[in-house]
Amino acid sequence: MSAAITRAEVEAVYPRVANAVAQALARDPAEVSLNSRLFADLEAESIDLLDIVFRLEREFKIQIPRGRIIEDARGDLSEAEFENNGVLTAAGLARLRDYLSEVPADNFRPRMNIADVPTLFTVETMCKMVVRAMRAAGA
Amino acid sequence: MRRRVAITGIGLVTPLGNSTADSWRALLEGRSGIAPITSFDPSGYPVQIAAEVRNFQPALDGSRRKLLKFASRHVQFALAAAQQAIEDAGVRPDPRSASRWACVAGSGMMGVAFEELAQIQRRLAPHGDFRGELMFKPGGPAPDPVAYGRNQANAGIALLVQCFGIKGYAGAIHTACASGGQAVGLALRLIRRGSADFALAGGFDSMINPIGLASFCLLGALSTDNDAPAQASRPFDLTRNGFVLGEGAGFMVLEEWQAARRRGARIYAELAGDGNSLSSYRVTDSHPSGDGPIQAMRRALEDAGADPAEVGYINAHGTSTIMNDRSECAAIRAVFGAASRVKVSSTKSLMGHLIAGAGAVEAAIGALVIHHGRLPVNANLNHPDPQCDLNFVREAEPPHRVRVAMSNSFGFGGSNSCLVLRHREDAGE
Repeated sequence: MSAAITRAEVEAVYPRVANAVAQALARDPAEVSLNSRLFADLEAESIDLLDIVFRLEREFKIQIPRGRIIEDARGDLSEAEFENNGVLTAAGLARLRDYLSEVPADNFRPRMNIADVPTLFTVETMCKMVVRAMRAAGA
Repeated sequence: MRRRVAITGIGLVTPLGNSTADSWRALLEGRSGIAPITSFDPSGYPVQIAAEVRNFQPALDGSRRKLLKFASRHVQFALAAAQQAIEDAGVRPDPRSASRWACVAGSGMMGVAFEELAQIQRRLAPHGDFRGELMFKPGGPAPDPVAYGRNQANAGIALLVQCFGIKGYAGAIHTACASGGQAVGLALRLIRRGSADFALAGGFDSMINPIGLASFCLLGALSTDNDAPAQASRPFDLTRNGFVLGEGAGFMVLEEWQAARRRGARIYAELAGDGNSLSSYRVTDSHPSGDGPIQAMRRALEDAGADPAEVGYINAHGTSTIMNDRSECAAIRAVFGAASRVKVSSTKSLMGHLIAGAGAVEAAIGALVIHHGRLPVNANLNHPDPQCDLNFVREAEPPHRVRVAMSNSFGFGGSNSCLVLRHREDAGE
């Protein structure tokens, strides 16, 4: 398990991440903050998430494999321990809550569908994704 | 009793102006929208002029602004024109009415943005052969995922219904230059048969790009009068030498007549008749006798319950090609009689040919003719072709009442569309 992501690392990438998010969602940069939820606050839809990830890859010259967040969150749990027919197990939910530590705890609902996980993402989630990809590229 | 259809909103984005008022004013003043091409460098092309939409700023408010990233140039025209039409009508889909709204649009003879295709080609064919798998290579030249949505044939209609919250019925018409007219005609039929009470109907296109221009150059269909752009489009003139490519969009809000009356809507005209035919003759040629257009015009008049003698104005397809102009004149003579004095003009003389958008824009012009009692001129008609001996509008005329107007649109592939519009006071409730 790699070292925890520091506030400084997040803040270093935030301005460019916020800009990419604002552009993809046609928002004024002032409407975007570190805590903005992509779906609920900024009215993203699924194709916008692809668009944001694409813009971040271009902006930071990094690779962000699709589905990486779920895979990382699962870590050393087996698939069966993590989910059951696309529904998160209690252990899976706990792992996800740890991994998405920037998301307020009450946003995680028991028996959440894996397909709904992106609705949890905030701008900070995107920042952390970028930091991890940059670390991986530097490694 | 048959349901009638009122035109209650009009929105235009044309080479003559980015609003209905600006476009209409330029038409009456005989101001040309044709000029040297600015959107790309046409050096080396035999044709270097077109009727471009100028100073266009796509504008959508609030959360709808995001839709613009899925919209290529011609779709941005469509969204802007549709927005104008809805505002002009003073009625829009709401949660109660949304399922009673339809959206029908004629669109994209070529729907894919050329620059995007070229970019994908550059990225995925580094050594000449196209290699699609490179898209998925780590660190490879992945194209923008949104480009997929932008380049679907139905991208325009999908964004229109999304943008305005339309939930009843959608149709995208692709019959080349007849598309816009047939879209409006189909919307008329949807309201008549009770499938919808409201329709956002129109057409949009832009082929002023390196491939679109080249295609028509290769067909030899365009005027090469690069030195005199404003005079290049000369429908029905003996010296004409081809059409001029235009771009833009036109949309109308159509409403079931009684409902429009009840809400006190301003009614431009009744959309009274829709006539279609197929020439099934040749891919790009029109039949010299006017066969095809003749049937479309007769069917539209019959559909409207109108007599040819009532028609005060025909907005001709009038492309400024010898083949179209002579065939269309033969058709008009066949329908209206050799002695007919019906006024005819082709507004393509000023705004060029909007291709899939033309039929809708020109039907809207027909509605404005009836509403204002003014006829747009057929510009550049200095030496009328003796084989086109119709009563053309060659100069501005004093205002007078037009009871019935007609708009013709004929497409490659043999689709012929004719729409008939009637003065609201003659609609006979």
